[in-house]
Amino acid sequence: MAPSRSGGDACKGGAVEFPAGLRVLVVDDDATTLRIIEQMSIRCRYRVTTCTEATVALNLLRERKGCFDVVLSDVHMPDMDGYKLLEHVGLEMDLPVIMMSGDSTTSAVMKGIRHGACDYLIKPVREEELRNIWQHVVRKIWNENKEHDNSGSMEDSDWNKRGNDDTEYTSVADAAELVKAPKKRSSLKEEDIELESDDPATSKKPRVVWSVELHQQFVSAVNQLGLDKAVPKRILELMNVPGLTRENVASHLQKFRLYLKRLSGVAQQHNGMLNAVPGIIESKLGATGRFDIQALAAAGHVPPETLAALHAELLGRPAANIMSTVDQATLLQASIQGQKISHAEHAVAYGQPLVKCLSNIGKNFPPSIITANDVSSAYGAWMSSNITVRPNNSVERVGTQNNNMLMDMLEHRQRQQPQQQPLIHDQSCSINVQPSCLVVPSQSSDTLHAVNSCASINQDCSFGRNAIIDYSLLSQKSNNSITASQFPGGDTKAQGVLYGYTIPSTCSMSSINGSIQQLQNSTLTFGSARALPSPLPMSDRQDPYGFKSGDSFDQVCLRNLGFVGKDTCIPNRFAQKEIESSVSDFSQMKVNVDSSGNTLQEEPNFINMQKGSRPIIERYQSCDHSSVFTE
Amino acid sequence: MDVGQMQRQWIDYTKSLFLEGFLDGQFLQLQQLQDENNPDFVVEVVSLFFEDSERLLKDLTFALNQNGVDFKKVDAHVHQLKGSSSSIGAQRVKNACIAFRNFCEEQNTDACLRCLQQVKQEYCLVKNKLETLFGLEQQIVAAGGSIPTELSFSG
Repeated sequence: MAPSRSGGDACKGGAVEFPAGLRVLVVDDDATTLRIIEQMSIRCRYRVTTCTEATVALNLLRERKGCFDVVLSDVHMPDMDGYKLLEHVGLEMDLPVIMMSGDSTTSAVMKGIRHGACDYLIKPVREEELRNIWQHVVRKIWNENKEHDNSGSMEDSDWNKRGNDDTEYTSVADAAELVKAPKKRSSLKEEDIELESDDPATSKKPRVVWSVELHQQFVSAVNQLGLDKAVPKRILELMNVPGLTRENVASHLQKFRLYLKRLSGVAQQHNGMLNAVPGIIESKLGATGRFDIQALAAAGHVPPETLAALHAELLGRPAANIMSTVDQATLLQASIQGQKISHAEHAVAYGQPLVKCLSNIGKNFPPSIITANDVSSAYGAWMSSNITVRPNNSVERVGTQNNNMLMDMLEHRQRQQPQQQPLIHDQSCSINVQPSCLVVPSQSSDTLHAVNSCASINQDCSFGRNAIIDYSLLSQKSNNSITASQFPGGDTKAQGVLYGYTIPSTCSMSSINGSIQQLQNSTLTFGSARALPSPLPMSDRQDPYGFKSGDSFDQVCLRNLGFVGKDTCIPNRFAQKEIESSVSDFSQMKVNVDSSGNTLQEEPNFINMQKGSRPIIERYQSCDHSSVFTE
Repeated sequence: MDVGQMQRQWIDYTKSLFLEGFLDGQFLQLQQLQDENNPDFVVEVVSLFFEDSERLLKDLTFALNQNGVDFKKVDAHVHQLKGSSSSIGAQRVKNACIAFRNFCEEQNTDACLRCLQQVKQEYCLVKNKLETLFGLEQQIVAAGGSIPTELSFSG
């Protein structure tokens, strides 16, 4: 029988042959065309999700980052121009987008190409054409791999790692893997640096895996030297990592710089808006010596409603990103495992590890914040900048605003709390979210290992994976202290994480509605947990770990912040579930994640969830066919 | 009429629709997409088309009867109608829409109104034809038969 509307194999099913299982998002305001393409996709054995509104589609993409491999969009849509959607998707998620239109004129097609469309299909679309769209996904993955191979950064074997366990998501990733380096599967190591021969398709030089831990060391070295004075040689010396070459550092530094540049570049665009936010946030934060959402909320300084209102006001829209942030936080913990995440997108996202994420972040970082940021470590500063999400042209870019606010808060916090570790900065950053931040480089590997084992959160498409995960998880099997399961209630770290994420969720929820209440409540709950400096319940954890874990979370969060634009993958639903589960039990959370992750698999449900979009299923059910038969 | 006869009637009728240009190859695609998992796919999609078209035609009538005709809007509607009709293979409706769009560009209200009439007419025709076809299908299924899945145009 035909599988669910998604048309793919069971969500949890076994491996499917590529390109079957390709996760497609189709956006078209014409219900007729949408239904036809959906059916065709099902025939192609894709996992298809449909949307009649571009705005809904964009939210979907943001919430479920890593859940889609390719986007098919109509050009002419009432709520948003298809090209605009194309831009958003390209900027934030970097997914291949294929345009569709009845307009076959050369100029129209050219316009599509100029905007970055991978392909342009003329309507009516035929099934044969749909059968070919996978090529765009694979091409993108390969190109990104090449990029990284050449620059000696991210190791794409991590894709293998992620791809290993989640068979249903491995289709595209696997295909890419198969083509690139099938043997890499066996080379998973929990080391910071892995030297592997490149696949035959690219150069043969060994590649360095820029794990989160490694990157953090890099950043602290850069901070120490000062970004201006950071030269590869000196960075290398400071990092003192065996096996790392100056060339590795040099290329990584180049990407880092690009990232920062993009941050400031983007920030400038939103200077006005961002400035407004910092002022508000900072004034509110000023009263408290430290950045403590809970405390603030409790003290009425920055009530969730205010944050939400700010968000809503500035962004005009609920921050889907924010919610996903929350989700991401929890997911991060769970997803730290990383390996589980084997979406094709991982491949895609992975392809952009530092560079793209960084660049995304950079775009959102307002110059004002940067300059104002007097964080002692450059790392912190960088992380702060990472917080901002790329700015959206439309109000949908809540993430940006959120980030700005968070940044300010972080900034403030950083000033107020120059805690022992540079990770502290990360803490503030963590507010934002991206799960990938979670990987904490400073964690001792044994604790990390322990953590890792818990985080078996199945990485259904929902978890932000891609960039985030790649980044943080790169070889972070051991770094996954963030695993949600590791932090039963009362765990400082867990709290830290939750804490870190509450703001976003609050903001986003408030602005959204109903579920907000839940989030807010849970936010408070989390916040209070934070206030208690109770030792980690997991006493077997080393103290530093416990402490650090909190920081690491933050750090990870910071990182995530950077990637928010790209990897906000936590679905709303998921987030809500996460929040609702008892705070005190992270493992419970983890379970929830799993379960919610599972439920998220059902495309139809998801579609129905989307406000504003006309649920395809419902529509069909209500369709009255009787008139058709009247003679 | 027995099932076999009904089936032949169905085949002939379908062929005529193609020959007369009411339907084009896209409709065949629709038929091919229908299978035991989606036994009512064609009816489903065509119903969607009917719904959308009726709404669009109404909107078009309204827009063209305004004092100040917003041709951009009119064009958008026609574009949409063209898209949905082409997606199910309603060829004549689609062609009428193409002509319609040309006049929209010229901002010729009278010509547009005439085009609208033409589109409405074609729409009614194809709607009728398809409903007849579906009625035949219903009868076949009611009589225990199955709808032919292959349409050979030879002889």
